[in-house]
Amino acid sequence: MLSVLSYGRLVARAIIGGLSQAESRDFSLVTASCGFGKDVRREEERMRGRGEEERRKMTSYGDDACFTARHSSADVLGVADGVGGWRDYGVDPSQFSGTLMKTCERLVKEGRFIPSHPVGLLTSSYYELLQNKVPLLGGSTACIVVLDRQSRRLHTANLGDSGFLVVRGGEVVHRSDEQTHYFNAPFQLSIAPPGSEGAVLSDSPDAAGSTSFDVLLGDIIVTASDGLFDNMPDYMILQELTKLKGSSYESIQQTARSLAEQAHILAYDPNYMSPFALLACDHGLDVRGGKPDDITVLLSIVAEFTD
Amino acid sequence: MLTLLSMFYYICLRRRSRSGTRGEALHSRRAVESGQRAALPVSPEVEQYAKEVLDFSSHYGSENSMSYTMWNLAGVPNVYPSSGDFTQTAVFRAYGTWWEQCASAPPRFCRTPPGFHSQDYIELAYEEPVYPTAVEVLETYYPGAIVQIQACSLNPFSQNTPSDVRWEVLWSSEPTKVLTPQARQFSPAIKQISFPTNLLRLEVNSSLQQYYTELDAVILRGVRDRPILTLYKRPVIDVGDLSDSDEELADMAAACRYGSDEGPPHATGNGHFDRLPYELIQLILSHLTLRDLCRLAQSCKLLHQHCCDPLQYTQLSLQPYWARLSDASLGHLQSRCALLQRLNLSWTGNRGTLTPSGFTSFIKVCGSSLVCLELSCCHFLSEACLEVVSQSCPGLQELNLSSCDRLHPLAFTHVSKLTRLRRLVLYRTKIEQTAILSILTFCIELRHLNLGSCVRIDDYDVVASMLSARCRSLRSVDLWRCRNLTERGLAELVSGCRTLEELDLGWCPTLQSSSGCFQHLARKLPRLRKLFLTANRSVCDADLEALADNCPSLQHLDILGTRMVSPPALKKLLQSCPKLLLLDVSFCSQVDNRNVQELSALFPKVAIKKSFTQ
Repeated sequence: MLSVLSYGRLVARAIIGGLSQAESRDFSLVTASCGFGKDVRREEERMRGRGEEERRKMTSYGDDACFTARHSSADVLGVADGVGGWRDYGVDPSQFSGTLMKTCERLVKEGRFIPSHPVGLLTSSYYELLQNKVPLLGGSTACIVVLDRQSRRLHTANLGDSGFLVVRGGEVVHRSDEQTHYFNAPFQLSIAPPGSEGAVLSDSPDAAGSTSFDVLLGDIIVTASDGLFDNMPDYMILQELTKLKGSSYESIQQTARSLAEQAHILAYDPNYMSPFALLACDHGLDVRGGKPDDITVLLSIVAEFTD
Repeated sequence: MLTLLSMFYYICLRRRSRSGTRGEALHSRRAVESGQRAALPVSPEVEQYAKEVLDFSSHYGSENSMSYTMWNLAGVPNVYPSSGDFTQTAVFRAYGTWWEQCASAPPRFCRTPPGFHSQDYIELAYEEPVYPTAVEVLETYYPGAIVQIQACSLNPFSQNTPSDVRWEVLWSSEPTKVLTPQARQFSPAIKQISFPTNLLRLEVNSSLQQYYTELDAVILRGVRDRPILTLYKRPVIDVGDLSDSDEELADMAAACRYGSDEGPPHATGNGHFDRLPYELIQLILSHLTLRDLCRLAQSCKLLHQHCCDPLQYTQLSLQPYWARLSDASLGHLQSRCALLQRLNLSWTGNRGTLTPSGFTSFIKVCGSSLVCLELSCCHFLSEACLEVVSQSCPGLQELNLSSCDRLHPLAFTHVSKLTRLRRLVLYRTKIEQTAILSILTFCIELRHLNLGSCVRIDDYDVVASMLSARCRSLRSVDLWRCRNLTERGLAELVSGCRTLEELDLGWCPTLQSSSGCFQHLARKLPRLRKLFLTANRSVCDADLEALADNCPSLQHLDILGTRMVSPPALKKLLQSCPKLLLLDVSFCSQVDNRNVQELSALFPKVAIKKSFTQ
């Protein structure tokens, strides 16, 4: 009798102990990225001679750039869409977005950021771009997603028309707000040549919209440039995500790739009524088909933190 | 017989250890080491990157940035083995001899010991104290500036402060010229020390460098257990210790034992020294370093009188002795410094060796004739110290508080009482708007003012306006990284301070060439000798034309990072300014290496700098 009670107590303690441990375990993001640049020929040049491993670690697709980084308290990822219009003025748009994302990555790795304040990360990164001896020019949108591991909250900052979706149980529970000045002119961080500041759209990092919310295990976060969202409506994205099995890196990588590929195919379909085409029609423009654009997809799953 | 032999051996050994050169001794030691190493088990070597940068004297980057700042030296390398001018490296503020050539540079102090070459320093803390076996510095651009590596016995992360803080020189050398700007891993042969360390100090001299030297990481290799080899007693080569009372006694005993030829220490006759005129002995002594002067004072009464003569101490540079200088040393020197005019205490007071009370008591006694006071990187300074300086040194003309970033902003209000100030350096201090305006109101004789990286000053236009109103004899002003100076402030400055010769406006983002401010500047300052417009992206051909037409005395010009300057405009400038010595056109996108080569061939006296990233 007594032994049963003591045994029971032990078992109860073990169960409660196990539960409370699960309560206090940190979350983390398992992230995979994939993308396609718009200029197929240029991208083939770049991909030539790169092995599979290298392709996985790529951080830029066309004029888009992305990064993922870990710090002791947070997992951070970001995407930046370089504004293509700068090419007409002899400026390579991928330089600005690439440097912006690399600087964000470095700031995260060195801990020079506050997880609950991703707009601060964007501001610091933009400031660091101005501290470079090299005279950078160009502009890009930016979307930063930070998971605070211990508090299990997701903090986001979005400037422009890139963005993110949070999918839980097959439904979109959070999404970013698109910021545009007018049709096809998103909010953007930019550095203009001196004298042309008035002619160029240049938004302050403070103009970024930011949100914070709790996440649960198994939440899926899709962070992407407008190349994805302009070519694939929500239901198609959700359909692709149902194919995601488990939270292993390989399956996430596979799903990210299929999302990007599908968007890429749809972009060049001349008859398909893409979200971009639908929006253009709303503005009175007679447009059909997809929107050829650089596509970058970062797919993340909220999982338990393992070192 | 045995005792004779043993005495003989003893004398021979002592003589060899005294006369052996350092290099020789190191080599013999290494031979012994390598021999021994084969026999004994080696404890595992620990390799560490720097955990934290604790202190440094200057840097190129901005105070809250990670581009070109000293904090990049901590952690793993970001750039190495690539070579080039990258943001992720640690860069000092200056290079070469360009800053020494300016009128704003202070004249050198005499009696600098020949082994002291350091211009800048950086202190790095590591996680774990080890007995160092190697220090590797990853230099990524224009290497070769490091002149000294030292280790400290103090653990900066431990809570208890030990009473004895020792700094030991691991390696030291004269500045050498390295011919290529390419990256290299610099690993000099370091001395073995008898204590574990996790605090390293690198001292740097960039005077032979062609461009800014850049460092990426510093690796400390060491062993946890004390190597048995350190049982070999070696005379420890000190950085330069000043005689305090204990050492004085020891030295006096030594001097007596080995005898001096200057005769017995009683009143009758000092031999030939009695025949020499007083001034001649004084002249001879003026060539000795401070350490030798203090030691010579113990040799005999006559030389003691000479060495303690206040005329030998009109200039006093204690910077080479920063590691050992204490309150006691200052107190000891007090009696000799009644006529002190120029005092250099830069870098001293490291880790509590000097306290505000020691400093203030010295200044109260010796400050009345003080004309120049160098207090760069003196972290022991408090508001009370500056108050005492302002009261005790009424004739002070030069004050250097560069990198005294722990000094409270309120302390600077006392500087306004020094109304005879001509040179004031406040680089990287936390001085605020009201204090600087107060200083400019009262210190109307200012000739040279350095407000570089003073981030707490709110409105630089108001400062410029005050300068133009009050400091009419201003010759040089350094406004490096002043964040909100506009064309209005600049216009007022150049209108009021007509004798301006040197102007550093590097990294001032709010100055736009389209306002015509640079052309206005050129027309108003015909005596201009130095103009830095570093990273002002709006500098254009019209500005260079204005400089060419109006500033024939131009010697130093930096227009890094502008896209709007073309090679023909540069050529015209070089033709019109025959005295030009330095022209920095790094990252000017219209000027490529071929242009630079052509211009260098046409104008061989001008050092045309073009930095690169790959």
